[in-house]
Amino acid sequence: MKNSDSNIEKLFNIKILGSGTQPVLFAHGYGCDQNMWRFVYPHFEENYKIILFDYIGAGKSDLSAYSKTKYDSLQGYADDIIKICAHLNLKDAIFVGHSVSSMIGVLAINKEPSLFSKMVLIGPSPRYINDKDYKGGFEESDIQELLHTLDSNYLGWSKAMAPVIMGNEDRPELGEELSNSFCTTDPEIAKNFARVTFLSDNRKDLKLLDVPCLILQCRKDIIAPLEVGQYTAKSIKNSSLKILEATGHCPNLSAPQETSEAIKEFLQT
Amino acid sequence: MNKKQSTKGQDLHRLKAALDLYDNAPCGSICFHNDGLIFDINNTLAVWLGFTKEEIINKRTLPSLFKIGGQIFFETHFFPLIKLQGFIKEVYFDVVRKDKSVLHGLINVREIPAQDDAPLTYQATVLDMSDRWHFEAELLKAKQQAESDSKAKADFLSTISHEIRTPLNAILGIGNLLHKTPLNKNQKDYARLLLHSSEHLLSLVNNLLDLSKIEARKFELEHVDFDVFDLSKILEQTFSVRAKEKGIEMRVDLDTDVPRYLIGDPVKLNQILTNLVGNAIKFTKIGSVTLSISVAKMSKQEVYLDFKVADTGIGIPSEKLESIFQEFSQASYDVNVEFGGTGLGLTISKKLLELHGSKLSVSSKLNVGSKFKFRICYKKSDKVLAKKDLSILESEKHDFGDLMVLLVDDNPANIFIAEQYLEQWNISYLSAESGKKALSMITKHKVDLILLDLQMPKMDGYETAKNIRDLKLNMKPVIIAFSASTKGEVNEQLMEAGIDDHLPKPFQPKQLYEILLRHQNVNPQSQGQLSSIPKKSLKKSMKKSNPKLNTPKVSFKLDRYIKMANNKPEYLKKFKLSTLDALISYQKDYNKAIVKNDIKMISDLIHKSTMSLYYIEADPLTELLMESRSMLQAENKDESLLNDKVTECNKEFIIIINGLTEKD
Repeated sequence: MKNSDSNIEKLFNIKILGSGTQPVLFAHGYGCDQNMWRFVYPHFEENYKIILFDYIGAGKSDLSAYSKTKYDSLQGYADDIIKICAHLNLKDAIFVGHSVSSMIGVLAINKEPSLFSKMVLIGPSPRYINDKDYKGGFEESDIQELLHTLDSNYLGWSKAMAPVIMGNEDRPELGEELSNSFCTTDPEIAKNFARVTFLSDNRKDLKLLDVPCLILQCRKDIIAPLEVGQYTAKSIKNSSLKILEATGHCPNLSAPQETSEAIKEFLQT
Repeated sequence: MNKKQSTKGQDLHRLKAALDLYDNAPCGSICFHNDGLIFDINNTLAVWLGFTKEEIINKRTLPSLFKIGGQIFFETHFFPLIKLQGFIKEVYFDVVRKDKSVLHGLINVREIPAQDDAPLTYQATVLDMSDRWHFEAELLKAKQQAESDSKAKADFLSTISHEIRTPLNAILGIGNLLHKTPLNKNQKDYARLLLHSSEHLLSLVNNLLDLSKIEARKFELEHVDFDVFDLSKILEQTFSVRAKEKGIEMRVDLDTDVPRYLIGDPVKLNQILTNLVGNAIKFTKIGSVTLSISVAKMSKQEVYLDFKVADTGIGIPSEKLESIFQEFSQASYDVNVEFGGTGLGLTISKKLLELHGSKLSVSSKLNVGSKFKFRICYKKSDKVLAKKDLSILESEKHDFGDLMVLLVDDNPANIFIAEQYLEQWNISYLSAESGKKALSMITKHKVDLILLDLQMPKMDGYETAKNIRDLKLNMKPVIIAFSASTKGEVNEQLMEAGIDDHLPKPFQPKQLYEILLRHQNVNPQSQGQLSSIPKKSLKKSMKKSNPKLNTPKVSFKLDRYIKMANNKPEYLKKFKLSTLDALISYQKDYNKAIVKNDIKMISDLIHKSTMSLYYIEADPLTELLMESRSMLQAENKDESLLNDKVTECNKEFIIIINGLTEKD
């Protein structure tokens, strides 16, 4: 076990930033990588220790470490969170998870209760597929359609992802070399992750959670509709639900200011 | 004033043209806010989608125009990417028209940053790629079809080849055995023809299998120590016979500085050289064929060897030099008629060299000759390998001493053939027709080496081997697998099952001999002191027959004949009569041989009688004959034991002769 430790930072492309001591672990969601937090984490640099990482198969993680069996369920990803925290000696950290990472974080703390003292779940959904009275927002066939879209975009994706040499006049901070290097995911892994994410059911796991939780819910989020946010809040004992002005599924990108303020407010209480 | 007015008019005109172009451009355009809400759409796109502008503007969001899968994709991939890099190019979406039909759209999006009071917005262009989508779908379908066809073809080829290899094993085996029996000149010619044809058929089937494996990328290079001197020596010996028959010269020039021990894939090198040298001899009528091996460059660890095969044959016309490397291609139709062959050898050699990162080059002059050249880099080995004793292999006269072999095969023909070989080499054996029988035999008898067929019904070879290993015997027997697959394919499974080595079916007797030689000493305990006794002792022969005596056997059976006669009584009668005649004469020969103490005569008799006794399953008689021979051979002959054996044997003869006369 020890010998693999030195590789962990490379394995998950771990970045440690900020000048504070209280650690905040930012966990990205399905479809992108740690770049998701690009506009949010700067708000926390002054007072917190920031930990960014990419899940195996996403961003600049070590793709060769991907295993279809291990990542056949969200628990595989949760175990990686535990591994990262153990490696960095994190205890009572603050967990900020976007989208599917919310549930990954829940699975991690349920297995290792001392990991986090507080959790922020952005656009969480314990189950995406409708089930009798439960409204997740999707039918199973919708997920098949997503997989199909991913398939048809192999060509389109590669084009969108191909490194285009162009200056980022509007965003000089990105630099040339970064263009088109965001959110790159191996197509096969992206499909597996989609399947694991959208077919998961973690409703039972919410009930086990016992740390203070903030649920950030966007208006008009088709991935995690308001009803799902309310269900999640009701299932977690010690939780509060905040509905953001932002729309869509990625307030961390579309409304970073509002998102950051909501998190800060929660952390200060 | 006038001028100014006209400029203004021009500007207005231009603006109108631009707006018109925007509205009716050959591509769709859509503008939307940060939350996806559409605030403008051009005419083209509205018409494509079957909506009026009013139904869209300020009412619909961009993702709401997509199918549900596309919406998830938009939220999880597309939107983050626009947010992060400010643009996105050519992403495919199914856009849903008002009538619910689908427009296959390719979408580009650009972020328009906030300026003064105007908030940040996005502008998207939509290209109708329905044509491209259909082409792609068609191409994809065609590609999948072609791939699955090609796979089906390869599978078929592989299955058929395996199926052919199994009976071929029997043909080749019987051919070999037949060749060694006393035959008249005509029969000898027939037997040789049979042998040559089956060898040819085997090489054809092997080539097909190799090719299908190369195509399926199932071939991998091995890295083992080998002796390149040995390899070239064996090639020389193999081919000089054929060359001599054709009246041409076969030479091997091995440069003195070629390092003897290398690390690489000797099997594939041998295959390449065999193909090239075989071809050279085939196409040469007068003159010579030369294989030369020389050092191109050498470092401490590595050596680049140049291999060259030159002949003085018919040559290849320059315009055909390229096509000879293609599958099933020979320089001309006439070539095929005159020289035969499949035209696969060169293709395979070329592909095997590609695996080595090397290339086969050819130069040729019509009616002067051809030269094939290639270069391979090998690591040098510091291991000194045991030299293969070719003379032992050649003579097949090694004394295997006390070695006890167990044959396991569900196919009686295969058991029969292997038994014949073992007999010839004076090796003791037991046989089992199933894995289950083999297991029970192993627990009862000391077995040093097991020849195990992999494909058996119920308990297959792998399972049998695993079960044998699970017995945890004190003396672990060597397990050698027989199968119609070649080693590369099954290697991992073999190791897993605890199988030590592998002999592909069909095999030449020499291959079996070699593998037995290689493994006979692996288990030091199993060698026993008896190996110092030069000839088989009586005691040992008795031991050999023991297991069969334990289970009382019927003297003979007619099942095989009945099956062969296929419900035609006249055939059955014929079979019986001819066997009866044969047995009467065998009995005479037997007694003659005993009286004359003639080992050769009794050996000839055993050979002569094999097929007849095989067909009527007269195993006890077969055993008795062999035991009689062993007794004759024994140095300290025990006359009384021999007499008993002779009586027993004659009794057995009479039982069968009577049986054949009576049984109907």
